Amino acid sequence: MDMNIETPEDQNEENSRRVQVRFKTKLKPPQKVPSNSIAIPSNLTRFGLSSVVNNLLQAVNPEWKSEPFDFLINGELVRMSLEQFLLAKGISAEKVLEIEYIKAVAPQKEEEPSLHDDWVSAVDGSNPGFILTGCYDNLGRVWKAGGVCTHILEGHCGAVSSVNIIKSDGLKYVTVATASKDQTLRLWKVCSGSWDCTISLWRTNDSDAAGNQVSIKKRKGNNQVEEPQLEGEAISTLVGHTQCVSSVVWPQQETIYSASWDHSVRTWDVEMGKDLSDIFCGKALNCIDIGGEGSALIAAGGSDPILRIWDPRKPGTSAPVFQFSSHNSWISACKWHNKSWFHLISASYDGKVMLWDLRTAWPLSVIDSHKDKVLCADWWRGDSVISGGVDSKLCVSSGVSIQ
Amino acid sequence: MRERKKSSAVEVSSVKKKKEKKTKDNNEPREQKEKEESQSIMKQQKNTTSRSKKEKQRKATEDYQSLRESELSGDEVHGTDHDVDNADDHHEEDQTDGSEGHRGVEESDSSEDEVAPRNTIGDVPLEWYKDEKHIGYDISGKKITKKERQDKLASFLANVDDSKSWRKIYDEYNDEEVELTKEEIRLVQRLLKGKAPHTDFDQYADYVDWFKYDDALHPLSNAPEPKRRFIPSKWESKKVVQYVRAIRKGLIKFDEPKEEEPKFYLLWGDDSSAAEKANHLAYIPAPKPKLPGHEESYNPSLEYIPTQEELNSYQLMYEEDRPKFIPRRFTSLRSVPAYENAVKDSFERCMDLYLCPRVRKKRVNIDPETLKPKLPSRKDLKPYPVACYLEYKGHKGAVVSISTEASGQWFASGSTDGTVRIWEVESGRCLRVLEIGEAIQYVAWNPLPELPVLAVSAGQDVLILNTGLGNEEEQRRVKDLLHVETPTAPDVLDLGLVEDHLLKNLLLALMFTLDGVFGRMASQGRLPLHVFHPTRSIFFVSTKKNIRVYDLLKQRLIKKLETGLKEVSSIAIHPAGDNLIVGSREGKLCWFDMDLSSKPYRVLKCHPKDITNVAFHRSYPLFASCSDDCTAYVFHGMVYSDLNQNPLIVPLEILRGHTSSNGRGVMDCKFHPRQPWLFTAGADSVIRLYCH
Repeated sequence: MDMNIETPEDQNEENSRRVQVRFKTKLKPPQKVPSNSIAIPSNLTRFGLSSVVNNLLQAVNPEWKSEPFDFLINGELVRMSLEQFLLAKGISAEKVLEIEYIKAVAPQKEEEPSLHDDWVSAVDGSNPGFILTGCYDNLGRVWKAGGVCTHILEGHCGAVSSVNIIKSDGLKYVTVATASKDQTLRLWKVCSGSWDCTISLWRTNDSDAAGNQVSIKKRKGNNQVEEPQLEGEAISTLVGHTQCVSSVVWPQQETIYSASWDHSVRTWDVEMGKDLSDIFCGKALNCIDIGGEGSALIAAGGSDPILRIWDPRKPGTSAPVFQFSSHNSWISACKWHNKSWFHLISASYDGKVMLWDLRTAWPLSVIDSHKDKVLCADWWRGDSVISGGVDSKLCVSSGVSIQ
Repeated sequence: MRERKKSSAVEVSSVKKKKEKKTKDNNEPREQKEKEESQSIMKQQKNTTSRSKKEKQRKATEDYQSLRESELSGDEVHGTDHDVDNADDHHEEDQTDGSEGHRGVEESDSSEDEVAPRNTIGDVPLEWYKDEKHIGYDISGKKITKKERQDKLASFLANVDDSKSWRKIYDEYNDEEVELTKEEIRLVQRLLKGKAPHTDFDQYADYVDWFKYDDALHPLSNAPEPKRRFIPSKWESKKVVQYVRAIRKGLIKFDEPKEEEPKFYLLWGDDSSAAEKANHLAYIPAPKPKLPGHEESYNPSLEYIPTQEELNSYQLMYEEDRPKFIPRRFTSLRSVPAYENAVKDSFERCMDLYLCPRVRKKRVNIDPETLKPKLPSRKDLKPYPVACYLEYKGHKGAVVSISTEASGQWFASGSTDGTVRIWEVESGRCLRVLEIGEAIQYVAWNPLPELPVLAVSAGQDVLILNTGLGNEEEQRRVKDLLHVETPTAPDVLDLGLVEDHLLKNLLLALMFTLDGVFGRMASQGRLPLHVFHPTRSIFFVSTKKNIRVYDLLKQRLIKKLETGLKEVSSIAIHPAGDNLIVGSREGKLCWFDMDLSSKPYRVLKCHPKDITNVAFHRSYPLFASCSDDCTAYVFHGMVYSDLNQNPLIVPLEILRGHTSSNGRGVMDCKFHPRQPWLFTAGADSVIRLYCH
């Protein structure tokens, strides 16, 4: 059964070529269209396709409110007109084209920024209840949703450089780790990289299993620690980097990933204290995160505007599998979405936070809320992007629907 | 057979008779005579049945002769004795009437056809009948049987006996023997001699003009000349057109004229002419002057007028390549000015006339690209600073000097606004602002990481500042150090008392080396510059134009490096210690290889304005120079450990971005100690970081 859908583009260009398509989705029934093949003009872009789907949904359900969708053909997001896309990918337009649609991933609204006294240097949104920020005024802050500062954590005598929330069992007892430029780590910390080219492992005095230890990032000149609540020596030190370690993550129990200004990404075995692999990048690296497919892809950004993603499982090559180069300046932070395999954010000194999907080379959306350098960014509650920057603001962009 | 012989004899005799009686009778009508004659000839020919081919030919000519004779001789050929002939003929005719007579009458008068051989086998070779008993068929279809052959001996004997045997000829075709008569023999002999067959035929008889008329003086016809005599022939012209077309199409080809090459040359001749050519000037034909065209017009059309761009490009050309005449437009001939080169041209012309010697200019045609030294590709020399990603803003005056901390985490900058700022490299955050109160001339960070101290020169003072970085233990050590060093002032070391600048510098330098503090002082004035050798106790001091190398231990001058520059503005030493770069106020950069000579190994003229500072990278093979033209140049400067290999210098990148302020551009440049990054301090109060 064929039916022609009237769309704005359609009326303009009656004589354009048509393609037979069938829409399919993994979304739930209210957002599901009948799986008939229909003929649509081939010059439709994402917007046109989205209005086609919305029209179809309205035909079924008159109360349907239109909503942006994104479209996948053979696992790749459509980012040009359908005709161009088919030509570029060499897909035949003769057959019935199967287009999968998903909800478009873009921030729906921009919340009021939370003002700090100084540059926001670190942010963590791993707890859905609150946001933890570190600031250059030596304070850490805890924010509730809606821009209300609930707690101010004092204690550092240098600018806070990194913060992290350590999840305990049962959420009753939330501990917070902060690292500062006064070369101290306060509260709980487990793993830290430093300017003396080493990574130190610290044991928490909490008797939690090592499994809920979370990695932390820190910049400091020395690994000697003076700590009011817990004084201790590092239980082990990972030596191997030749320049300052800019970022570490500890996603699994036995391996630590670290990025350094010596242009390399290293994988460490915790028990052995040795580096397992070494990916050479060519640029000084600022940030690293692990995520994506099977939590194995390494995303790292550095002293150039390119966000690189490596797949360490690929044998025999150290070339990045993806390179996203829409930024204009250094990349200061990158974070994978903790549920999705495809989505990640990156923050850059050009004042932009970009939302990426591995399935297309263009950013899904650009959050341009900061006026100056963005120093940190993270996901919050799975549907918001939080970022802090030199303009002393903590920006929250919510409504990012990632299924 | 006898008959036939007789007939031939008759024929001959009849001809004779005709000749004899030529003149007698010319009254008889001509036609009749001709008919009669032809008849007689036919009869004769009918009778000659057997002849050899040769004989046939002979006979044909004979007949022809006779015919012609009869025609020529006209009517009187046949005389009164015609009757006799006729009687003879008739007699014969009667005899042969039976079988052949009717045929002879019917057939044409061609002499060939009239031969009626007895044998009728046709024109087939006689060998075919060689083995047969017969030789052919007669007219009635009966076989002609071959005569029995006499055996050779018998025939020979017969020949010997018969005196007439030499006249006998065997006719193979008809298988019979023919005996020639005496007349026939004579005829044959005459023919063999090339004479006319008949004895009484005169080949060279007098011409008889048969047509005589009285008015021979007048033309035969009085008709006017026809028109076709005067008009060109149509057919000829058609033919010509046809040929012309064929030539154009190439159907007709003419032989190309062959070039005549001299086959021989004078091998032993004197080559004085060749020597003459060699000794004298080669003949150069004068070029033909170009005729004046549209562009020489006083009001040429617009396309001849060169545009401003073209005029500018003429200025860049060599004098001799420039066009001699540049077209210009004038509204009228009146407004054309006098020729400005008139005097010069006439002078040149006079020189030409006086045969003043002319210099033949030899210009070498070389592609300038090939003159460039072969340098490695820039791509292979990565990493080096390329783009500016970070700017450090905060100073209010020109940033004069910067210095990086050993780890590369911080750097300090001094400005003319009287402040020293300490920055975090990574984020661009200004950590600390130190107010000095006087324009800063130089800042230097302690190269030892455990003592984060900063040396600052401002005005007449050198200050040693505690940056406040590092942990508490380090801070305590720093405080101890500064306290011990300066009993009077806790944080400031005053050297203002020392008046002599050179001495002051030396003292400072010595003191800082002893303390493990690497310091240096430069200023806007005439202060000499200096650097220390990184490993040995050697000390480089620059005077205005030269550089003196002192050994500190032996306390004497080792070397003097001649820069050849007008004024040295900055020097830097390679971390290995054997190479030195010197920047000058005229924008030249000299690279000295201490092992090579006291002259510069390379002089790079790249900056259009003063070079303010030069710097080497500590670990990468990079060096940079910054200048008042608001740019910094980055070079690849590879020094090989192999002494035989000279240093490799490759220009890599021009870093732009600063703006000029008060005529000053980039004031200082320093490399990041660990990354291939370059900090540049601008007079526009901005510090930029260029990353790879």
